[in-house]
Amino acid sequence: MAFTHLFLGLVFTYLIGAALSLALHRNDRSVTYASFMSSFLASVFGIIFSLSVMYGDTFVINIPGSSILQFGVSIDKLSAFFILVISITSLAVSIYSIGYVTEYFGKKDVGYLGFLFNIFILSMILVVSVSNAVMFIIVWELMSIISYFLVIYEHEKSETRKAGLIYIIMTHVGTGFIILSFLVMASVAGSFNFESFKGIGGQLSPAFKDMAFLFALIGFGTKAGIVPLHIWLPYAHPAAPSNVSALMSGVMIKTAIYMMIRFFFEFLGVDTLWWGILLLLVASISSLLGVMYALMEHDIKRLLAYHSVENIGIILIGLSVSMIFMSARQPELAAFGLIAALYHLINHAMFKSLLFMGAGSIIFSTHTKDIESLGGLIKKMPWTAFFFLIGSMSISALPPFNGFVSEWLTFHAQLLSTNLSINLVTILVLGSGAALALTSALAAACFVKAFGISFLALPRTVPAENAKEVPNTMLAGMGILSFMCIVFGISAYYVVGILDSLSEPIVGIGIASNITNVFTIGTIPSFAGSISTTWIALLLILFMPLPIILFRSSLTSKYETWGCGQPRSTARNEYTATAFSKPIRKWLENIYRPHREIYTTYANSHFFKTSFKFESHIEDVFEQYLYNPFIELTLAISRSFRVIQTGSIHAYLAYIFAVLMILLISIITGGI
Amino acid sequence: MPGIMFGSELMESIIALIMVSTFMVLGSKQLYTSVSAFQFQSLLLACIAGIVAFSTGRIDIYIVAFLTLIIKAILIPYLFVYVIKELKVKREVELFINISPSLLIGGVLVVISYYLVRSISNNSQLSSYALSTSMAMVLIGIFLMITRKKAISQMLGILIMENGLFLGAISLTYGMPLLVEVGIFFDILVGTLIMGVLIFRINRTFETIDTDRLTTLME
Repeated sequence: MAFTHLFLGLVFTYLIGAALSLALHRNDRSVTYASFMSSFLASVFGIIFSLSVMYGDTFVINIPGSSILQFGVSIDKLSAFFILVISITSLAVSIYSIGYVTEYFGKKDVGYLGFLFNIFILSMILVVSVSNAVMFIIVWELMSIISYFLVIYEHEKSETRKAGLIYIIMTHVGTGFIILSFLVMASVAGSFNFESFKGIGGQLSPAFKDMAFLFALIGFGTKAGIVPLHIWLPYAHPAAPSNVSALMSGVMIKTAIYMMIRFFFEFLGVDTLWWGILLLLVASISSLLGVMYALMEHDIKRLLAYHSVENIGIILIGLSVSMIFMSARQPELAAFGLIAALYHLINHAMFKSLLFMGAGSIIFSTHTKDIESLGGLIKKMPWTAFFFLIGSMSISALPPFNGFVSEWLTFHAQLLSTNLSINLVTILVLGSGAALALTSALAAACFVKAFGISFLALPRTVPAENAKEVPNTMLAGMGILSFMCIVFGISAYYVVGILDSLSEPIVGIGIASNITNVFTIGTIPSFAGSISTTWIALLLILFMPLPIILFRSSLTSKYETWGCGQPRSTARNEYTATAFSKPIRKWLENIYRPHREIYTTYANSHFFKTSFKFESHIEDVFEQYLYNPFIELTLAISRSFRVIQTGSIHAYLAYIFAVLMILLISIITGGI
Repeated sequence: MPGIMFGSELMESIIALIMVSTFMVLGSKQLYTSVSAFQFQSLLLACIAGIVAFSTGRIDIYIVAFLTLIIKAILIPYLFVYVIKELKVKREVELFINISPSLLIGGVLVVISYYLVRSISNNSQLSSYALSTSMAMVLIGIFLMITRKKAISQMLGILIMENGLFLGAISLTYGMPLLVEVGIFFDILVGTLIMGVLIFRINRTFETIDTDRLTTLME
């Protein structure tokens, strides 16, 4: 019963937080504390609850209802894991928000934000808990709609409204497909309970099974942000307040992965090879294109949003490799892939939320999202810089941080494909490994750019010059997640054990004893390759002081940088983000299709130029070649329907009359 | 079914007269004539309601009969005449489909509704007789609205539809509950008033009440 109390406590704490936010919304300061402390408290409950379920038994509450609408909660280890991810992230973001929302004091209604914030986290927790498809759709829609309102929180800006529109359209398209997929399964299961969906794949005919798979892939893929359904991410994440984008990018898109795992492994059962291959292709393309577009972005939040596409791709690579192994009846290897996916999932939640909070801190003190106008922030905001650096190193997969471990696992999962019997598939999986390698390299380049341009060198503009360190609560929020990044990195051998206990009921076999040792993780078959982030960390700590001790005595003279004959170096001499990414832009010209234009205005003669304007941008390939033609087609079809809209009352009445007569006559002929 | 009511030749002949009045509206070339036909129809409806009230002895149906008489047989026709006079509209009915084909189509509609009623119920002779008449009136009402150009004729069409529904309701179930019935009467009355006002507006804006010209509102 302690479980029930904890769970209800967590639900009600969020509700109380939401209610308090509305009740106190007149007083900015008190509403801030009320709403974000409630969500903090509820997150603590969430962490305790999920850990106790993960170490205990499946937890079920069933509230009896009709056969269709049954509100039941069923939390097994997988759900508990997602509640843990949500709760850790929301714990940090709640603390961060206390400082962050001071920016809105007096300008916007903070109570409204707090209300949505609490309900949003609650809806995500319910999404991973409910045990009935109809209830699932309801909470899923609740999550989508609340997040839509959060995205358009700064609705006075027109680009925010546009972002909201794109987001809500995409998310509803996704929900449509999800409903279709549920209907396919319910038609055979005869009920909407997830319990009755389990193993339904065996009863579906192959065509229906493939249909259910594709609908689910499109539906959840839209929320997860796989290419080419990703277009809402680069709009919605920058538009939302940073604490919200931390949650949306860090956690919300993961709920889609949760349902994919449930759908593919539990409901449908993975026994079709091409499912895994299709997902693998989509995932590899997502990760590559995500990072490529991220590299070209100078808006720090858009950059991070594209990285979400990339990382969802990496998570799905793990998942798809696992599916391929599953269909090849090699459950040990499948377990390995799944562990890699789950590991990257929690890691991405940690470092992406951390980075979004870091971006939020930058915006908080400089009021710009454009990294070209930042610079030198490491001097003004040392702690933010430190935390952002940790996030950057994690996402770039540097040891001993957490991103390294999960990417290492993912790589090895791909390399294990040599155990497959079909050579073509092996080659394909290995090829995706190459894509992942390129992705990681580009991600590292991208974060060298993001960190280097915004934090190092001299400030490029006045706001960057006047930047100040952010309030302590914001630093605390980032600090917690930085700490988690390190913890999940160096305690990899322990985390893998936990993840194995999650994947065991899903793939049917536990491999923890094969791949973990004290402080070390390895691959199957037993430790063909192995790594210990713990030892790496220890060695780093031990040898870090070494160069300082060794080279302290050697002569270094401090002098200003060589200035190319200029009187002195200024911010204008600095390397820019555009320049940094230029080699890659040239190299991948076919994909980016960059446009450059120079406008010059002349006074009197061609020798006197009054002004230059340089413009450079890259093409949004998907919007231009996939979405725009579709939109135009839809509009054209809609226009052709206007023929029947004559504007004449008589015609409209005649339509009604005609339909009525057709119906009546069909009754008569049926009756006679 | 109480014998006195539906078995009686009286009811059947009144229902037949109602059908005749419907065809009078359909076949008249003059606006005034169609309004009088409508008035006649409403009067007959009031009679039917009266007979039903008499045979069941229920007071609420007496009230309904009375209201039918006041509102449909007196007030609304008066409103029509007033609008026609005030606007000085041409007194001829303008139509898309000429009178004689209209009458033919009306006949077809009656046949269709007769078959329809046959196919949905096989019970007693008279109630299906009343029901098919009411169905035919609804269809002819829509048909009037489609084929007549003047907004006034369209009002007439919708009122005939309403009369048809009323006939169906009162002959099958002794009418709806009084409260609903009164609601419908006020609905009709207010609807007619509003439509009357709208016709004035249309007239002022377009200098005609020919709804064919309203297509300019399309954009």
